[in-house]
Amino acid sequence: SAVFVTDNLNMLPKYIGKHFHMHIISPPRNKKHRTLVPITPMPHYSDMDTPELKNKLDRFGVRALPKRQMILKLKEIHQYTHQLVNSDSEDEAPCVGPVAQTEAVHSKSGEEEDVEPPSNSQDSNASTATSSEESERHNPELCLSSGGDSDSDGGISASQAATRLEDRLQAVRSFILSDSSLYSQILQYQPLVLSQLQERLKAAGIRLGAAKLVNFLDSQCITFTTAKPGQAAPTRRRVRKTGKKAKAAGK
Amino acid sequence: MAQEVENFFGVYMLYCLNPKFKGRIYIGFTVDPERRLRQHNAGRHKGGAKRTSGRGPWYAIAQLSTSTSTLVFEWAWQNPHSSRRLAHVCRRGRKESGLQFHWRVVSNMLRVAPWSRLPLTARWLKREYKVDFEPALRPPPHVSLAFGAVRAKKQRPVDTCEDREETCRCFLCNGPLMTWEKLRCVHASCGMRSHVICLAKRFLRPEPSHLLPVGGRCPACHRDVLWGNLIRVKQGCAGDA
Repeated sequence: SAVFVTDNLNMLPKYIGKHFHMHIISPPRNKKHRTLVPITPMPHYSDMDTPELKNKLDRFGVRALPKRQMILKLKEIHQYTHQLVNSDSEDEAPCVGPVAQTEAVHSKSGEEEDVEPPSNSQDSNASTATSSEESERHNPELCLSSGGDSDSDGGISASQAATRLEDRLQAVRSFILSDSSLYSQILQYQPLVLSQLQERLKAAGIRLGAAKLVNFLDSQCITFTTAKPGQAAPTRRRVRKTGKKAKAAGK
Repeated sequence: MAQEVENFFGVYMLYCLNPKFKGRIYIGFTVDPERRLRQHNAGRHKGGAKRTSGRGPWYAIAQLSTSTSTLVFEWAWQNPHSSRRLAHVCRRGRKESGLQFHWRVVSNMLRVAPWSRLPLTARWLKREYKVDFEPALRPPPHVSLAFGAVRAKKQRPVDTCEDREETCRCFLCNGPLMTWEKLRCVHASCGMRSHVICLAKRFLRPEPSHLLPVGGRCPACHRDVLWGNLIRVKQGCAGDA
């Protein structure tokens, strides 16, 4: 960090000032453009074994609890005891913090990494994020646009969201069953064009994001294509891919 | 003698016999396995993949075939650790050969969505390379295991020997049957004809959460039939992939 100081003397006071400002007074938060991220990354409590979790809690004078609760408690403690830094991010979830001062701690980006997504939502925001990272490798599983999720379930609980998703999937199911030419196409293993299906669902008033639709089709083993009708398949895709594989296999 | 298959879509596994690169595996997709292998062995300028070019001879040892598009299947087989459907498949072990590893990957693929209900045939083109499915990774019963060479065959013009349209009624709902919606039993001796959807719904009775049947019992001759074979017959192919 000596290097940092000499190289960035000009920046330093500002940098520090920001933290102090953040830490002492909680400023009126700009709902649109600020999110708080922890400076010290949170340890992976979820991956730890029970004895380790017990020890950690013991340091804070908390008795042993069931594992899940210990993880949650440790995360909570971490959030209370660690500084945050401003980062630019587009949205901020409604605060759920118990105290005004720590309100900011419970911002969305803080929680996204910490809290395990409910098991039924394989298509949570988190997985969409990893998806788009991978897509640079032309992963055909992920060539749908990550922005395809039009169903924002703002401000409802996980179980409510799950029920709502369940209802929508049921609606997609009924839609398919009610359209005999679409259903016959599926029954004959002819790939559906994803964008067309989305359009038709939309027209029928069924709002379901691309990621969730894809998960549904997958779970039903329904073949689909993300190519636009009449558009050529991405060329030379296989050459690069298989190249990597062969190399890996040869080691 | 190579078995002829119509409407072939296959993902194949090549094994490198070149002493310098022996045991390397290449996975690719083709609609014509014989032509594709020739290309691989002839090199890049004859259409062979860069990876296989100049490293021959390659031996086609195994393939998975189906009558539908298999590009995502191919990709996932090549890149199991990037596929979100194969997150549970662990990396190649120290003592595992490339061949064993790739077979383990594909064994897993056959057991998970979106492939677990597709009419796939796993075929060892060269029996001497055969790797058994691990007991815990046996494929679902509708996946057939085959041996020996295959040859892609041009499809016959559809429905040359079609029965008279007018007299045809659905065995299940007794409604009139149009060609595009008609399914017939794979057994030539059985006269069962039905709507695609009627039979699908009948086959799906035991598993109402699904939309795509895997197979069932013919309502007329009471023999077990695979959905994939019914569709192949409908599309004018011989019943077996």
